[in-house]
Amino acid sequence: MLNRRDLLKLSSVAASSLLLPAGLRPAFAAGEDITIGAPLPMSGPFAANGKFGSMGTAMIVEEVGKVLDRKLGYLEIDTEGKPATAVRKVQEAMERGVTLFAGGILSSEALAMGKEVAKGKGVFITTAGADEITGSECNKGTFRWSVPTFGAIEQTVRPLIEQLPNAKRWYTITPQYVFGDGLLNAAKAIFKEKGIEHVGNSYHSLTEKEFSGYLTNAMAAKPDALLILNFGSQSSDTLRQAVSFGMKKRMTILLAWASGLEQFETLGPDLMEGVYFGAQYWHGIDSPFNRELVAKVQAKHKMNPNYAFASAYLTTKILIDAATKAGSTEGSAVIQAMEGMKYTGLTGDEEIRAADHQVIKNYYLLKGKAKSAMKDKDDYADIISFGKSFQSPEQAQCKMA
Amino acid sequence: MNRASLHFLLAALVAIALPLFMRSGTLASEVLIFAMAAAACNLLLGYTGLLSFGQGIFFGLGSYAAGLTLLHTSLPLGVALALAAIAGAVVATGVGWLSIRRQGVYFVMLTLAFSQFFYFLAYTFKDITGGDNGLLNIPRTAIGPFSLGDSWAYYAFVALLFLIVFAALQRVASSTFGRTLLAVRDNEERARAIGFPVRNFKITAFAISGAVTGLAGALHALLIGVAPLSNIEYHMSESILIMTIIGGSGNLFASVLGAGFYVIVSDLLSSIWPRWLLLLGGLLIVVALFMQKGLWGLIERLVDALPMGRRSPIESPIQPESEGRGI
Amino acid sequence: MIYLFQLVNGIGLGMLYFLLAVGLSIIFGLLHFVNFAHGAFYLLGAYLVYDMTERGLNFWAALLVAPIIVGALAALTESVLLRRIYHLPHTFHILVTVGLALMVQELVIILWGPVGGNVPTPDALSGVFILGDFIYPQYRLFVIGLTLVLAIGLWGLLEGTRLGAVVRAGSESTDMVSLLGIDILRVNTAVFALGAGLAGLAGALAAPIRGVEPFMGVEALGIAFVVVVIGGMGSYTGALIAGLLVGIVQSIMTTLWPEGARLMIYLGMGLVILTMPRGLLGRA
Repeated sequence: MLNRRDLLKLSSVAASSLLLPAGLRPAFAAGEDITIGAPLPMSGPFAANGKFGSMGTAMIVEEVGKVLDRKLGYLEIDTEGKPATAVRKVQEAMERGVTLFAGGILSSEALAMGKEVAKGKGVFITTAGADEITGSECNKGTFRWSVPTFGAIEQTVRPLIEQLPNAKRWYTITPQYVFGDGLLNAAKAIFKEKGIEHVGNSYHSLTEKEFSGYLTNAMAAKPDALLILNFGSQSSDTLRQAVSFGMKKRMTILLAWASGLEQFETLGPDLMEGVYFGAQYWHGIDSPFNRELVAKVQAKHKMNPNYAFASAYLTTKILIDAATKAGSTEGSAVIQAMEGMKYTGLTGDEEIRAADHQVIKNYYLLKGKAKSAMKDKDDYADIISFGKSFQSPEQAQCKMA
Repeated sequence: MNRASLHFLLAALVAIALPLFMRSGTLASEVLIFAMAAAACNLLLGYTGLLSFGQGIFFGLGSYAAGLTLLHTSLPLGVALALAAIAGAVVATGVGWLSIRRQGVYFVMLTLAFSQFFYFLAYTFKDITGGDNGLLNIPRTAIGPFSLGDSWAYYAFVALLFLIVFAALQRVASSTFGRTLLAVRDNEERARAIGFPVRNFKITAFAISGAVTGLAGALHALLIGVAPLSNIEYHMSESILIMTIIGGSGNLFASVLGAGFYVIVSDLLSSIWPRWLLLLGGLLIVVALFMQKGLWGLIERLVDALPMGRRSPIESPIQPESEGRGI
Repeated sequence: MIYLFQLVNGIGLGMLYFLLAVGLSIIFGLLHFVNFAHGAFYLLGAYLVYDMTERGLNFWAALLVAPIIVGALAALTESVLLRRIYHLPHTFHILVTVGLALMVQELVIILWGPVGGNVPTPDALSGVFILGDFIYPQYRLFVIGLTLVLAIGLWGLLEGTRLGAVVRAGSESTDMVSLLGIDILRVNTAVFALGAGLAGLAGALAAPIRGVEPFMGVEALGIAFVVVVIGGMGSYTGALIAGLLVGIVQSIMTTLWPEGARLMIYLGMGLVILTMPRGLLGRA
């Protein structure tokens, strides 16, 4: 049951085991292995993301092998989906000399971890979605790969409005908190600009599972399009219930913040056919780097990389490349190397904007396919359009110290 | 040396030993923080016979109180901690006053309902609590001339507070008040018949428990620099209870054992196997089946089994209930 | 119109909540046992249906088989494990059942992965029922109908059969029942299995509506407790009325004050405990 990946992990763990008495603790001096921290929710409600994230990290670490003539390893850190645990474990890892971290799936844990890593003069790159990460809470130590709310809406709602000139009435379903409002406000701005009638909005709580009430409200407003602004299992539940109410036949549905393959697998083509999805990543992206990665993952794991896997792979690679470029794993050196860094990434050419540490990359509009049109078991959707839309750092309220 | 002094010595020993055996000042601090919370929970569970699912409320409130004080005022650290303890005590008094109107399982359910209620409040009033993001950037200001930035420096501070609080709780437990609580736990009607103000005593126990738990919450927020929503969640209440029960509800030092065990073992297990919750679940069942007196009971049994003749065993100052009445 | 819809929807939800909670209520009534693993039965019921339909089995067959398997597993757990701890204080009931719930949850992840999945609605019921402006999924109507039938059947069981009489008597006094020569241990196991099976059925029925994911048991447990407390521990009718009440309130809240839905439910639970200690219809 113990494979090479586990050994890579364990060697890092063992080298810094907690309970050895002082005299027996192995020295963790510089000049030894480089360990990259991978704080991910391995247990708890987001364990799915954690599992694939860890696999992605393992893959790139194994591939690269050595950095700056030192052996490369990674430390899988189970955040349990809780910011408190995440921060504490990241603190410990930094005490043990880890300076580079790639992970943080949930916004709450990513925000907290970013602060901690910045305090410890380390580097943290995350894929969490909250605008604040490179906005009002931006800091020297935190970088973000994923596209925040503005871009997600610009690259899904706008092209869809243009594609469906007769869809003049839109209804929104929004989770009641900062992130949801971010998506909603971006959407409302486009509605206003394009003369779309926003026929109604339903707010709901973050723990809601029963969307029938909101969907009925939506149907009563007779919209041409339904814009679903929640995410994760909530978006799956909303879509599933919307389809059960026959809404797919009556209107266009857009799920603006989908997670990609891992989510599509839980939905299936019958639910997905004809529905539009916004995604940070899709294994069908036609870029050289992505094609390479997909081939590697298929060869090794007999599967296609999903968002958690691919993003972990790339963000870890960014850290590795930056350290190599800087000639050191020391925080400020790596940060300097990363600011303004341009590289070939999963979505094509990508750039890390120096002012707010946001990666400038594409966001994708996908459309679900019929079961009969699927070329293989993962061919759930086609890419309809993509592009880069970002607010300026000032608009995002980032004041980098 | 009497039992209370022995237990205090053991607690002091733990506080001294942790830095020797652990690499991480952060983890060590967390052990003592939860030791405080578990001991406070034990005051209600082991001593008063009240199974409270509300400890997370006070813990989370303590975190928020300290966070808000340090973020929005320039009051010193000590004041922030004191405010957290007060907040915990005040809310605990309210929650306790309402909850003790019912007994047994209904009491438990009531505390559970309260726990959900406060979580909801924290989530809704996001302008104050930061909502899902929590309160960020909580500064760990210096105490007097001592900087607490280094993790072991902070540990020393936490350890000092821990020992003070532990001694104080012991005082409470061995006082007339404490022994009355035991009487209430064992036979409430009789205690009432004798003339003890049972309700007031229960509420006071809640207040003390709330104060200590609030303080622990504040120290936790300072440890991680964040007052997260998860500190006030139901799951926090559950974890604190589990620590207390695993340790053994017989005495306060047992709670230290329980907290230490839970925090360290879950940290270790989670770095080895993502499905470590499976093992934790199994452990809970084992404890319930074979170790009702918890880890402390295990140690007692081991010590008893040692062939050392007429040596007086390390006893608990109180005997936990083993059979019979439910709580 | 929206309120008519919310009412119907609320009834649908409420009936599922009733199925979920009635087992917990009866278990508490008879065994005085606090069961924090009840959500795990709901979870298992849902995942068993998911597993079977993934393997190509007919949904109806799965719907029949899943609760039976859950009931059998529950019976096993009860006779092997839980029986040993009835005499212990409630603290240990809670500890064991929390531990069980955790183990079941992790086992589900080990067996089926952490991602969750979809259970397609059976073709016969995948359409919508339309009556003027009122549009409602056929499957949900089916669930309402089925749970109503089950509710009646269960009532018949409790009121009309010997087992039912024993259960009702046992809630009043276990000693009396044993004195009458009835093997109370077997009755306990049967009741526990029945309660668990009903929760499993609720999970199985909910699966096409909600999908399956490993943490769905946690929410189910919370709702079950609320319903049982409001309705009164040990009361069948209480569970029915409370289930419907909670379902309807939750449904109406989504129109009036969505964020407050969950709060309302727990607030309600707290108020009931404070003002009506036995719940609406419960006995000790």
